[in-house]
Amino acid sequence: MDNERELRRAGWRLMGAFLKPQRSWVSAGIVFGVLWTGAKVAVPLLAAAAIDVGILPNDQSAIIWYSVAIVLVGALQALGTAGRRYAAFRISYRVETDLRERLFAHLQRLHFAFHDEAQTGQLMARANTDIQQINQVVILLPLFAASLLIVLVVVIIMLMQSVVLAVLALGALPFLNIAATRFSHRVTPVSLRLQEELGDFSGVVEESVAGIRVVKGFGAERLQERRLDAEAHSIFTEAMIAARMRANFMPLVDFLPALALVAILWYGGHLVLDGDLAIGDLVAFNFFILMLVWPLRMAGMLVAQAARASASAGRIHEILATDPAVIDPVHSKSLPETGVGEVGFSKVHFAYGSGPTVLDNLDLVIRGGEAVALVGATGSGKTTVARLVSRFYDVSTGVVSIDGVDVREMRVRDVRRAVGIVFEDTFLFTDSIAENIAFADPEATIEQVRKAARLAGADEFVMALPDGYDTVIGEQGFSLSGGQRQRIAIARAVLANPRVLILDDATSAVDPSKEHEIRAALKEVMTGRTTLIIAHRAATIALADRVVLLDGGRVVAEGTHDELLRTSLEYRTVLARAEAETPVVNSSPEGLSS
Amino acid sequence: MMWGMGADLSDPDLSDYRARGVMRRLAKMLRPWRWQTIGAIALLVAQTGCLLAGPALVGYGIDAGLRADDAASLNLAAVLFLGVSLIGLVLGRATIRVVSSIGEQFLCHLRIRVFKHLMSLGLDFFERERTGRLVSRLTSDIDALQELVQMGLVMFVQNALLFVGALIIIFILSWQMALCVLVLVPPVVIATRWFRRASQEAYLEVRERIGANLTTLQEGLAGVRVVQAFGRERSFTRRFRETNEAQFDANLKTVVISTRYFPFVEFCGVIGVAMVIGIGGIFVDSGLIEIGVVAAFVLYLNNLFEPVQQLGQLYNTLQAAAAALHKLFSLLDTPASIASRSDAIDLPKSGTLCVENVSFGYGEGADVLHDVSIEISPGERIALVGPTGAGKSTLAKLLVRFYDPREGVVSFGGVDLRDTTVASLRERIVVVPQEAHLFAGTIRENIRVGKPEATDEEIEGSLDALGIRERLSALGAGHGPSGLDLEVRERGSRLSAGERQLVSLARAALADPPVLVLDEATSNLDPGTESEVERALEVLTKNRTVIVVAHRLSTAERADRVAVVDDGRIVELGTHSDLAAASGRYASLWLRWTFDHSSAAPAS
Repeated sequence: MDNERELRRAGWRLMGAFLKPQRSWVSAGIVFGVLWTGAKVAVPLLAAAAIDVGILPNDQSAIIWYSVAIVLVGALQALGTAGRRYAAFRISYRVETDLRERLFAHLQRLHFAFHDEAQTGQLMARANTDIQQINQVVILLPLFAASLLIVLVVVIIMLMQSVVLAVLALGALPFLNIAATRFSHRVTPVSLRLQEELGDFSGVVEESVAGIRVVKGFGAERLQERRLDAEAHSIFTEAMIAARMRANFMPLVDFLPALALVAILWYGGHLVLDGDLAIGDLVAFNFFILMLVWPLRMAGMLVAQAARASASAGRIHEILATDPAVIDPVHSKSLPETGVGEVGFSKVHFAYGSGPTVLDNLDLVIRGGEAVALVGATGSGKTTVARLVSRFYDVSTGVVSIDGVDVREMRVRDVRRAVGIVFEDTFLFTDSIAENIAFADPEATIEQVRKAARLAGADEFVMALPDGYDTVIGEQGFSLSGGQRQRIAIARAVLANPRVLILDDATSAVDPSKEHEIRAALKEVMTGRTTLIIAHRAATIALADRVVLLDGGRVVAEGTHDELLRTSLEYRTVLARAEAETPVVNSSPEGLSS
Repeated sequence: MMWGMGADLSDPDLSDYRARGVMRRLAKMLRPWRWQTIGAIALLVAQTGCLLAGPALVGYGIDAGLRADDAASLNLAAVLFLGVSLIGLVLGRATIRVVSSIGEQFLCHLRIRVFKHLMSLGLDFFERERTGRLVSRLTSDIDALQELVQMGLVMFVQNALLFVGALIIIFILSWQMALCVLVLVPPVVIATRWFRRASQEAYLEVRERIGANLTTLQEGLAGVRVVQAFGRERSFTRRFRETNEAQFDANLKTVVISTRYFPFVEFCGVIGVAMVIGIGGIFVDSGLIEIGVVAAFVLYLNNLFEPVQQLGQLYNTLQAAAAALHKLFSLLDTPASIASRSDAIDLPKSGTLCVENVSFGYGEGADVLHDVSIEISPGERIALVGPTGAGKSTLAKLLVRFYDPREGVVSFGGVDLRDTTVASLRERIVVVPQEAHLFAGTIRENIRVGKPEATDEEIEGSLDALGIRERLSALGAGHGPSGLDLEVRERGSRLSAGERQLVSLARAALADPPVLVLDEATSNLDPGTESEVERALEVLTKNRTVIVVAHRLSTAERADRVAVVDDGRIVELGTHSDLAAASGRYASLWLRWTFDHSSAAPAS
């Protein structure tokens, strides 16, 4: 609870910090708001005076003068509205935009371990829903300041006219504020539940569409329909609860001001009859009441909205307060110019967070220009080794070095430049193929791009695409097969021309019948370049000069592929399990004999 | 656009002509609720009447009470005002309840109906439409309608009624003054129309910019590892700044538009007050009207200008809802390509699976299969091999009638698949896809997909038969429900690919079909579960007709017969040893395969 309050406070501070650069607009908004308020209050006063001074005593020139005055004041009011609105929206969009950029930039810098924990969907929600919640409050701030002023001025004017009448007329209105606040508080959890139900509902739709082959294959349409039916009905239930709340609240917005108008008509009317109040003032009172409806309603909404916004800002603050763990050292060393890309692991211990030990006193040297294949069962630490070379994580103890320099002593950027990695799950951006391949160096010429693609065995199929290298791919673009995506990813790494190349299961999705094409190209890429290959297929492993067998986070055997096949039972077992093809059809001996 | 339907589904604009069609159809769909709808409209009219009565009563109180110095009339006016306000309160509550209830029932009905229709569509539809787009039909499009139901509808009708009602009343009060005030209506209407159009365009751009910005955001997060691996954090942040600022600029454009519109309307309102005072004052002096009428006019002006503004704002919601409805209707109009005929018969329990002179192509595209014929006897295991894109998977899809052939016949036990009930077809022929797809729910519920009416005992029995009951029971042990009661989340991301495959096999075992179509995985499973998957498959395929789309020749090696598919034709058909010994395509494929794998682990 305390923690939450602390977070909310931090959230307010964050909002304040982002509002600060907007202070001239904030002041402008308030000035225009005051102008608007003054004009808006003046109109009914002028109208009342026109009735009492002009119409009742039958003074035509007074009537005309007052009418002209009302028009002039109306022009000021319009100017006030324009300025107030523009300032308010500008501020809120500016805050939203700045906050989102800051969040994005920060997320880009945060270490892998953070992203391992966080879900993309959650982070997206921070950058969208949460920032919008903040936007909603910021947008209301100038208007709210101006509205408060209106309430204040109107209440004072009414009190000056007649205390009893003011109390009678205004008595009902605070209930509007109370009702609005209560409504917001009560409806919020229901809307959240409704959102959840809508999420569950779309979950069923999404998995049914994504898994349509399974649904159709087993004729399970009915089953999914029943589940959807249940979800649709839960939405209905929640939506009706919210509707009943609205039904209880919304009509009050008309009713409570009407009560005030009745009070004015009745009590004020009797005051007029007794000669204690002018008719014009009575009309003005009516007008004032209508003027108060919106500010009071808004105040209720603002309170509830502010609570949501501060919670949202608190959540964003939490992310911004997380410092990147992998950062540049104060005094950085640079890689030796003439380095050959020797990679060294010396007594490396590593665990993910507080998890179990993954690498256990690992010693490993990959000489410059050498190609080493890392082999091991799932969980043996292969991928971790690859990720430590790029310094995506820092070791617990021990040293990882490139050309003799501890990766922690170099600038992160230099490490990443020196090491090119192809991940197991290829991620391509919604961009043209050329831009994807030239990701490391957007300045690269098309010749360089094509050369990299050729080396990765991608040039041929890319050229066959309708727009060639300009074909837009990625999540929103043209969809490529898994193997094609991997080849683009390899080309991307090749183009960076790194000292050390890491292929983390980078050909796993390539159709086996096509893999030999890439293998030839890979051989060329690897020539003279330190390469770390993580693979299951023997044919890929055979590309390496040396094979290192990992088990339980340490090296248990090394040698050439053939040596290990001969000498290591463990190696044979691992390979047999990983490499032996999945025999989907297990045929009986009879089946083979014919 | 290649697909006419696709164009319709994505089209955000809606011409008036089509809008009318949408409305007619909506009215038809609302027919089951027609009495409630009529009741709701009656309630709305009555409630609006109560709201409009207020200012008139104030005017009456001033004229008959104050000016005439008659306390009784004043009291009467006050009591009546209180009375209509109370009635308005009660009617208002009832209105919102009735309208929400109709709307929500309709939406619930629509959700179910659209989904049912979606499930009845053929695979061809799913292959040409993107998952995201289909899902958004049922989510964001229906949500747009929900927004209208929740807030917009009542307000829209009420504002329209208020406007018309106020107009009528001011004419009754004093048609001379009403005519004067009416001068202000055309500029407001024109401004509102301009605002509607301008803001619609601006919001369209905002939506586009938001979409582009979301893409950069989403990719920056999902691809953060790649960005960091290439040290591109700063330039990617710059890229984000561009789309982010573009979103800001687009938003600011909408602000400029509304900054022009709202002050103008407000100004017109004040001019109205000035006119009522000025002209009304002169009319009062000349005895044409009473001063109470002037007061009532000032109050009614609110009811004239507010609704116009509100309607202008609501119009976009309404437009969005109509566009959403139109898209939903287009989806409902898409005919199911694979449907049971009314005189469909059940498939026989067993028989020969027979493909005769089949040609096929997707949608309007060229043929992918050309004149393919093959007969698969009961209990036979046949492997389809060939390069990617040769048509293996397409042929497999025709065998389970995911598609109907363009020419030729696929039959089982002598019955054309097109003449059979889809239900019996799914019982006889079951496909196990390359990648196991898990649904949200427990493991048990996921297995039950194979046979929805299966008891727990049957499920456990099929697991026992496959010898994987222990393996699956051990899933997720430690915290919360485990084993078969383990809740699958995010499509089973907590399970390994092999474990998901086991669930998929258990499904097939539960369905217990005479014919199995297997699509072999292209990539390797985790070594841990691979042997278990193997063993389970061995049991599963025993005594069944099996057609496997083979990606590894070792699989083909173990089949009874091998069909080599190339360029949409079966180019070779025979046993593995015959084909390998011959000098055709298969022999050369086999040679290369054995060469590539000779360096692998010792032969088992």
